[in-house]
Amino acid sequence: MKTYKKLFLGLSFVFAGILFMAFTLPQDKKMGGPWEIPAKYKTMKNTFKDDASLLKVGKMLFSKHCKSCHGGKGEANGPKAKSMKTGIRSFKDAEFQAQSDGVLYYQSFIGRDEMPNYEKKIADEEDRWAVINYIRTLK
Amino acid sequence: MRNKIFTLSCLLVFAFGSVLAQETETEKAIDKPVRSPFESGYLIDNQTTVIQPVNTLEFAIQHKFGSFENGSSDLFGLYAAGANIRLGLNYVVANNVQVGIGVTKERMTTDFNAKWTILEQTRNNTVPLALALYGNIAIDGRDKDQLNPFDESQTEYEFSNRLSSFAQVIVGRKISDVVSLQAGVSFSHYNLIDYGNYHDKVGVHLNGRFKVTPQGSIIFNFDAPLDLDYLDSAKNYNNPEPNFSLGYEISTSTHAFQIYAGNSNGLIQQDIMVNNTTNVLNDGFINIKKYMIGFTITRLWNF
Repeated sequence: MKTYKKLFLGLSFVFAGILFMAFTLPQDKKMGGPWEIPAKYKTMKNTFKDDASLLKVGKMLFSKHCKSCHGGKGEANGPKAKSMKTGIRSFKDAEFQAQSDGVLYYQSFIGRDEMPNYEKKIADEEDRWAVINYIRTLK
Repeated sequence: MRNKIFTLSCLLVFAFGSVLAQETETEKAIDKPVRSPFESGYLIDNQTTVIQPVNTLEFAIQHKFGSFENGSSDLFGLYAAGANIRLGLNYVVANNVQVGIGVTKERMTTDFNAKWTILEQTRNNTVPLALALYGNIAIDGRDKDQLNPFDESQTEYEFSNRLSSFAQVIVGRKISDVVSLQAGVSFSHYNLIDYGNYHDKVGVHLNGRFKVTPQGSIIFNFDAPLDLDYLDSAKNYNNPEPNFSLGYEISTSTHAFQIYAGNSNGLIQQDIMVNNTTNVLNDGFINIKKYMIGFTITRLWNF
């Protein structure tokens, strides 16, 4: 009888543990570590910074390529965000926006791990900066 | 002397070649091609002038269900027999050149196709229109005894009886960020046809999209086989019916989803142009009972 009790107690602990983890895991997603940005990108200049006509293009490309994970307003709440192993940072973060355009360029188009490379999908340099310019409006 | 002339002409060719190359480069820098006039190489059951970047593999899934005519008894054709399916793979081998292969359920067809976009519309109208050529050769893969059982003049089986082809010139223009339109002329040919059908058919095409959200567009396609007597001696045959479809497209980074309703169940174009007997209109109204739901999904991989 005692063995059953022990077994039951043990199982309840396991079950409680699973239940507990089920609720905590999603919030506990690991954020990716610091990015290693090559010097070339750190100093890269946004040659289309003042081109307001590109915002429309940037929005269009953002909707097509980025929204499904990063969310419509860059708040990391796109439908695919939940299934990622790595946490996604909100574009509204002051820390995120404090990064230079070149750094954002590297993160957006070269990527790493779960953030895919977009160099082939968004091949035109002007289009890439249009996306960066649009991300800057999501503060 | 000969040698000198040869060397001189070689030099001239190289000199002009490099001058020309530079010109195109500067032109490109000034006037780039317009951004995505269409989201995919497919538009419903037709082609667009769009070809993906070099080394892109495109997988296409095309499906047409049965017609609406039996109403709710077969869930408006979704449970109906006679659905048609095509699976296709296209690969972009060079800038604006694509080759592909596909298999279709109807007539157990295998098709080999190629598309070449000769001109892309540019942003500042240096080139105002896009121009593309599309062609395919298809092989009817059914059993020998199922090939055209009605044609008595055909006594001996030949492999060429299985072949059909389609060639099309497409002209397109992205009129605004919202509206893109295409027009085309095509020639379809079947080596062996069912009795009462045409061997050759010239057709015209009109299709387009109307963007309603950044990722969503209303799309339509219209194919009209022309009744040109001089092309075929069989004057008393009924001309095939036009094909009309209306649908909605959702595009993402790597996919395009198009769902539509149309009145032809063909999935390769020569089949649509030669074998469609369903009317678009019935007494001036859309012949809705004969329409069917279809979808096209494309998935891209970049290499």
